[in-house]
Amino acid sequence: MFWQQLINGITLGSTYALIALGYTMVYGIIQLINFAHGEIYMIGAFVGVVAVTVFQLNIFIALFVAMTVCIIIGVSVERIAYKPLRRSTRLAPLISAIGVSIFLQTLMTLIAGPQAVGFPQVINDQLYHIGSVTVSKVQVIILILASALMVGLQLIIKYLRIGKAMRAASEDYDTASLMGINVNRVISFTFALGSALAAAGGVMVGMYFNSIHPLMGVMAGTKAFCAAVLGGIGSIPGAMLGGLFLGVAEVGGVALGYGGYRDAIAFTLLILVLLFKPTGLLGRPIQRKV
Amino acid sequence: MNKKLSALITMLVFSLVILAGCGSSGSSDDTIKIGFLGAKTGGHASYGLETLKGMKMAEEDINAAGGLLGKNVAIVETDHGSKNSEASTVTDKLINNDKVVAIVGDPTTGLTKIAAPIAQDNQVVLLSAGAVGTGVVEIGDYIFRDTLLDALAAPAVTKYCAEELDWKKVALITSVNNDYSVSLSNIFRDALKKYNVEIVTEQQVKDGDTNFSAQVTNLTDQEFDGIVFTGYYTEGGLLMKEVRKQGLKQVMVGGDGLLSPVLWEMGEAAVESSMVYTGFAPDPNTDNEKTKAFIDKYKANNGNKLPDMFSAQGYDAVMLIAEAI
Repeated sequence: MFWQQLINGITLGSTYALIALGYTMVYGIIQLINFAHGEIYMIGAFVGVVAVTVFQLNIFIALFVAMTVCIIIGVSVERIAYKPLRRSTRLAPLISAIGVSIFLQTLMTLIAGPQAVGFPQVINDQLYHIGSVTVSKVQVIILILASALMVGLQLIIKYLRIGKAMRAASEDYDTASLMGINVNRVISFTFALGSALAAAGGVMVGMYFNSIHPLMGVMAGTKAFCAAVLGGIGSIPGAMLGGLFLGVAEVGGVALGYGGYRDAIAFTLLILVLLFKPTGLLGRPIQRKV
Repeated sequence: MNKKLSALITMLVFSLVILAGCGSSGSSDDTIKIGFLGAKTGGHASYGLETLKGMKMAEEDINAAGGLLGKNVAIVETDHGSKNSEASTVTDKLINNDKVVAIVGDPTTGLTKIAAPIAQDNQVVLLSAGAVGTGVVEIGDYIFRDTLLDALAAPAVTKYCAEELDWKKVALITSVNNDYSVSLSNIFRDALKKYNVEIVTEQQVKDGDTNFSAQVTNLTDQEFDGIVFTGYYTEGGLLMKEVRKQGLKQVMVGGDGLLSPVLWEMGEAAVESSMVYTGFAPDPNTDNEKTKAFIDKYKANNGNKLPDMFSAQGYDAVMLIAEAI
């Protein structure tokens, strides 16, 4: 029972982590909370459904298509809505982000209709029994894919030139640009990475919960944002840890029999962590940002 | 002196305008407006849209037969997007902007309970086509409903499960942010006790949830004959999918909140042999001429689909109000 719930929690948490990575990377570089990020995740899920049902694609190809489409959307959003505001007050791009978020929600409601859309069953529901624990094939796939994507991200950031540039830009944006780093390209690349991960998260959630909705990005986005803050916003391992923590906490609340309060439990934990560690679990000390 | 005089004249002119305004909005219109309060979008749009279809048919029928008191009936449509927070604004708009004589809606208990006190205070008739829960008409003497009450239907279903299907133990699942579900669960709890069916576990979900894995895992180590789920269709379908995914074989029983084609779309094979009760089921061989005419007309307008309880209740609601006028 305990292990079963833990697996439920980790599966949920790894989807939060994928979205949280997008928030944290963007924040790390341009100190912007990209509130439209949850909508990128939602669009990813819808593109996944269209790819699977209309074009009859294999789920893994569908995943790739969704990630590509979302990279294009994510980067265009940055170009259109954030870039012109980069040198203005911190609040301006934030408001612009909220605007983009509402625009994308409404657009998708108009295209797809307000009802929840069922995600077709793309992977047969094979169950694996390990001791007293039952794991479904979908869960296994989500766990493997999410881990692979996160490891891949770490490799990109650690070893590729563009990854180094990202780290430099997040240390100090202006100095990085003085050193000859093309920060515009770095920012575009960051949005591309974040959007791809969010799209993957969207398709996986659709696959796992069998239902997607034009407003699904709102709650998922809020939770992933909290996960990013919990782990320490700006920190990539922090976002992963924060996502897992939040997922397990949420499922833990239901396991104890308080299904109605599960969000309350998860967010109370968030407040507690932040009270004792204001920069989040793996956040950098505040002084360095000043 | 001059100033005072002009001020007086201005005041007089203003009050005349206001008075004239009152006059024109009340009687010189040649339509009788009936408001539709419900969801065209959002989580329970299926109820709202069906209710509205029924109301539109009633509007056509009445106007084709010469209208009411020599005036045409017009339905004023609104949409609160299935949001509790919008229900009062929409009700207020219907009463104060559109000046409707009566409101039909909301099809759900929860939103009716939000709208009803506003209608009562403004002395506008509110007839809910679908509020099946408890404590609705008790709100005031302007509040009515035309539907099958949970308090009658749920015990009957429980009796069937206990006596015909021989259920001894059930799992009860409630959607805690849904007034309808909470009140239906209370009714089921009493009824189950009465027929000696034990509730082995109670789980809580929320409207809008898509992840039920943890609640269903809580069910897996219990023994029970059936699942009583008191929420709506979207969550019902997804819940049953998760139940099957985790290898449980029990069927689901629930109220008319589960009644929508969306239940099948969401749940697919997982909702097979689920049981739902309803206040109206289309019977093409019915003896009742009016019902037959209603079914035929609905089918003609909606690509041969059969009407459901909500369209029937919406139609009846407008007809009832017309009768009263």
